[in-house]
Amino acid sequence: MITIENLTKYYGKNRAVNNISFTINDNEILGFLGPNGAGKSTTMNMIAGYLPMTSGKVTIFGHDISREPVKAKLDMGYLPEIPPVYPDMKVTEYLSFCAGIKRIPLGKRKEEINRVMELLKITDVKGKLIRNLSKGYRQRVGFAQALLGDPKFIILDEPTVGLDPNQVVEVRKLIKSLKKDHTVIFSSHILSEVSEVCDRVVIINKGDIRAIDTIENLESKFSTSLALHIKVKGSKSKAASIIETADGVKEILSIDEEGNDIYSFVVQLDGDAEEIQDKLMSDLLGNQIRIVEIFTEKPNLENVFIELINRPVRKDSLEDLLDEIVPESDSSEDEDGEDEEKEEI
Amino acid sequence: MFSVYKKELQSFFYTPFAYALTALFMLLFSYIFANNIAKLESSNKLMFSFTEIFYSIIIFFIFLIPIITMRTFADERKLGTEVLLMSSPLNVAKIVLGKFFANATVFLFMIAGSTLFPIVTEKNGEVVKSQLICAYIGFFSWGLMFIALGMLISSFTESSITAAIIGEIVMFADLFLDDFSRTAFISQYPKIQSVLLAFAAQPRFAYFSQGFIRLSDLVFFATAIIVLLSWTYISIERRRWNRG
Repeated sequence: MITIENLTKYYGKNRAVNNISFTINDNEILGFLGPNGAGKSTTMNMIAGYLPMTSGKVTIFGHDISREPVKAKLDMGYLPEIPPVYPDMKVTEYLSFCAGIKRIPLGKRKEEINRVMELLKITDVKGKLIRNLSKGYRQRVGFAQALLGDPKFIILDEPTVGLDPNQVVEVRKLIKSLKKDHTVIFSSHILSEVSEVCDRVVIINKGDIRAIDTIENLESKFSTSLALHIKVKGSKSKAASIIETADGVKEILSIDEEGNDIYSFVVQLDGDAEEIQDKLMSDLLGNQIRIVEIFTEKPNLENVFIELINRPVRKDSLEDLLDEIVPESDSSEDEDGEDEEKEEI
Repeated sequence: MFSVYKKELQSFFYTPFAYALTALFMLLFSYIFANNIAKLESSNKLMFSFTEIFYSIIIFFIFLIPIITMRTFADERKLGTEVLLMSSPLNVAKIVLGKFFANATVFLFMIAGSTLFPIVTEKNGEVVKSQLICAYIGFFSWGLMFIALGMLISSFTESSITAAIIGEIVMFADLFLDDFSRTAFISQYPKIQSVLLAFAAQPRFAYFSQGFIRLSDLVFFATAIIVLLSWTYISIERRRWNRG
C-alpha cells in the first residue's frame, strides 16, 4: 500500500500542493485527475522522490521516501510527464542503462529489456537512436523504462499524451493489464481515460483535493438527480417559489436572467422526471407564467468533473440565488467571495 | 555508479565528441612541439623541455576542459533526464562520482594521446623520463581539479554553453591568480596575497613540472577536488529543494 499524508509543496511563496492525503491500495489503479496546472506533476514528482516535499510524508510499501529513498525507489517505476530519454542513445542502450541504475542483475537484464520492449511494442525500433523516433515512440520508450525490473508500484504522469488514437488504446489496455500484480497511480486531464482505466479517482485542482471516490460512486452521486432546465417569462420570484415548493424538486441550482423578463432556472430533481415536469408546467401556466423552454439533462461524468473543479462552494438558499440577480444586491451575504466572478446585471 | 559512468563514456565515445576533442588537443600539442623543434635549429642547445610544452598548452587546455564538463548536469536538466536519475535507487553522490570518473577518463584519453610525442622523441634522442612523469602527474591532477570545477559550474545552469563559457572564465581567472596576486597592488596587502596564493594552482604545477612531487601539492589538488565535488552534490540537492 502507498500512503500519502498531508503532502504540501511550496515553490517559494506559491503553494503548489496543499495538504493532500490519500492512499493507493495494492493492485489498484488510481486515477489522478485535474486540469493543467492543478499540481498533478508536482505531486507525482514528490511521490517518486524527485522533488522533496515542504511537509508531509510519502510511504511506499512501508518505506518512507525521504528517510529510506533507496529502498522505496527500488520497487518503483516512474514515467514523468516528459519522457526522460537521452536522444543520443539507441533504444537498447538506453534501456540497458536504465536497467543498470535500477539494479537489475546483469544476467537478467537482456531478458528484462526484451520483455518491456515486447510489452510496449518497440522491438522494431530497438536499434534506432532515440532522437530519430517520433514522439509516440519516445513516450513508449519512457514507459518501457518505468516497467523495467517489474516494479510493484508504477507512477505514470500523463502516459498517453502525444500518442495517436491507436496507441492510446493500446497503452490503456497495457495499464489495465498491469493491475493484476501492480499498484498504479496514473495522472491525466482526460476524464474518459481515467474512467475507463481506473478503479478510483482523486480529483485535484489548484493543489487541493476535490474528491476521492470510485468512478461509479461519483457518477451515481450526481446522476441520480436529474437537472431540469426551465426558461420562463414572468415574475421571477413567483416562478421561483412555485418551482421550489413543487413536489420532486430537490433544490434550485441556479437562476439566470436572460433579459425581457425571461429567467432560466436549473433545478435538481428527485424522482420521476416526466411526472415532475408535467406537474411543474401546469403549475407555472396556472400562475400566468409562460414557459419558453424546458428540458431535463442527466449530468455526465464530464459535468461532474467540471463541477467539482469549478464549484467549491454551493449556494445554500433560494434567497442567495435570487439575490445574485438583483442589481443592488449586497454581496456580503455570499460566501468566499464567490460572487466576484458573477456578472452584475 | 558504474551504470552512470558507462553511460557517460558512451556519450563521449559513441559520438565523435571525445575523438574530436582529442584531435584538437593533439593538434595544439603538435603545433607547440613542432615550434620547439624549430627553435632548436636557431639555438646552440640541442634540448627542449616537454614541461614547457605543457605550460604553453595549459592556456589552450582551460578552453578544452569546460567543453568536456559543460554537459554533465546542464544537459540532464535540459533533457528532463534528471528525473530519471533522481527517481532511481541511485543517490546523488554516486551520480556525481560516476560522472566525475567518466570525465576524468576522457581527460586521460586526451593526455594519453600526447604521449606519442615523447615516444617519438625517445626514438631519436633522450627523454628525461622521471621529470616527464612528474609533469604528467601534475598536469593530470590539475586537470582533475578543473573537471570538478567544470562539473560544479554545469550543475548551476540548464544551458551547457553557458556552463562552458562560465567555466572558461573561472579557469582562466584561476590560471592567472598567481600572476595577479604578485602584482604591486595586491603585494600591498600581504594577507590577501597569501590567501590568493593559497588558491593558485599554477605554482603547484610548477613544482611537478620541475620533477618534484610534493605531498602538499597532492593534498592541495585532492582537497580541491573533494571540496568541488561536495559542492556539486550540495548544489544539485539544493536546486531540487528550491526548484520552481
